[in-house]
Amino acid sequence: MKIAVYWGCCIQANQFAYEISLRATLPKLGIELVDLSESVCCGDPVKSVNDFAADFLAVRVLAQANLTGLDNLLVPCNRCHFTLSEAQDNMKKKPQSAQKIINLLKEEGLEYNPNIKIWHTINLLHDHVGLEKITKAAKKPFRGLKVATHVGCQLIRYGDLGRADDAENPRKLDELIEAIGAEAVDYAEKLDCCGAALMRSHPDSALSLAGSKLKAVQGLNVAGLVVSCPDCGLMFDVKQKDAGTIVGAKFDVPVVYYTQLLGLAMGIDSKKLGLQLNQSPAEKLLAKIST
Amino acid sequence: MSLVDLMSTAKPNFELRDRILLKLGRKDLVNCYQCIKCTSGCTALKLLELKPHEIVKLVNLGLVEDLPSSDIIWTCVTCLKCVQRCPQKASPYHVIIALRNLAVERGAKVPEGYLKIVSQILESGLAEPPQKIVTRKMETVDRESAKLPKIKPPKQTFQAAFMKAMEEK
Repeated sequence: MKIAVYWGCCIQANQFAYEISLRATLPKLGIELVDLSESVCCGDPVKSVNDFAADFLAVRVLAQANLTGLDNLLVPCNRCHFTLSEAQDNMKKKPQSAQKIINLLKEEGLEYNPNIKIWHTINLLHDHVGLEKITKAAKKPFRGLKVATHVGCQLIRYGDLGRADDAENPRKLDELIEAIGAEAVDYAEKLDCCGAALMRSHPDSALSLAGSKLKAVQGLNVAGLVVSCPDCGLMFDVKQKDAGTIVGAKFDVPVVYYTQLLGLAMGIDSKKLGLQLNQSPAEKLLAKIST
Repeated sequence: MSLVDLMSTAKPNFELRDRILLKLGRKDLVNCYQCIKCTSGCTALKLLELKPHEIVKLVNLGLVEDLPSSDIIWTCVTCLKCVQRCPQKASPYHVIIALRNLAVERGAKVPEGYLKIVSQILESGLAEPPQKIVTRKMETVDRESAKLPKIKPPKQTFQAAFMKAMEEK
């Protein structure tokens, strides 16, 4: 499948590892990525300031996707995925503001296409590529490797919008882990939030949320924490030390993107998956895989 | 000022309440019967004492005058559990977003980061500029050295259109 891809700000600004590993793995699974011609914010951080302007930005991204002539759009960031999905829904439910947005787009020579299907990494791999194909592509399955997963809030809620997985019992990321031979352990804090959205107003509380979850994961005795959202990645990986300071703990939890783990299972070199860019001790995970 | 103070001293402002309802585009809010499912699952409850059911009740009672200037509306972590679990589709998260918008409109105290982001988007299109990151081995990496494509800025028409959108209320 040829699919347009919208990266969003966080991935492009600092979560390079996610972008690198997506670009390295998806084409090998028959997914051709087509970048949009502009990089503009999805509107998520603007919601709190002016929700109309946020919707405008989100719909503008969909109009950019429309320029590619493709009906499918990959949005690998949970927050962008939620923002675009909700804006698409608002275009149906709020006809008055929808018309205003369409007029604004017209001034820029852009056109909204309501039929673009919005995908996330997780449901694209799980529902479109399929577990069977992924298992086949995993030439080096990780037998006996145990990891914890963190799906993230905005990918699974709220259900009325039609999200990538179930809101209370998401299974797809775990099944994708199992497809490459590893085991995803269940744990009580699995659905707990990473806290990223509080970084702008209450950074200590945000880090405390990330820290509590990392504490739980560290106690599981797993090889690492697997994420699929750049905001969650930022909180658990980049901010791991800061989170430890706030909750009074010393963490050494390898945090990796699912696509990095998938790439390793497919036999792709760790450098080509950006594993040197993770701030958490990814080498601990790599050592477990190579033995 | 705590929420209890707001409840006992404030006077209802139904005009403002109606504006919030209009902004939400639906009236499900009034169906809230205070089951407190939202608050019992709220991520921000333990840390910052956010009680979404109280905010919904205050808005329903029309006691909205002081909410936009209260810090409590900025404690929501947007995990969306309250939207998911509300049996009446009152959706406290959306009420909180509407109150934040009102805070900005009225010039109330807003966490600086939010306003900075708007000017950042206006300037470059992105909410945060591409950074240089330092790896575990203390090497500095940017998009170019990571062999990632260059960021493509928006065309010139973007600024004017975004400014127009920001003027909408």
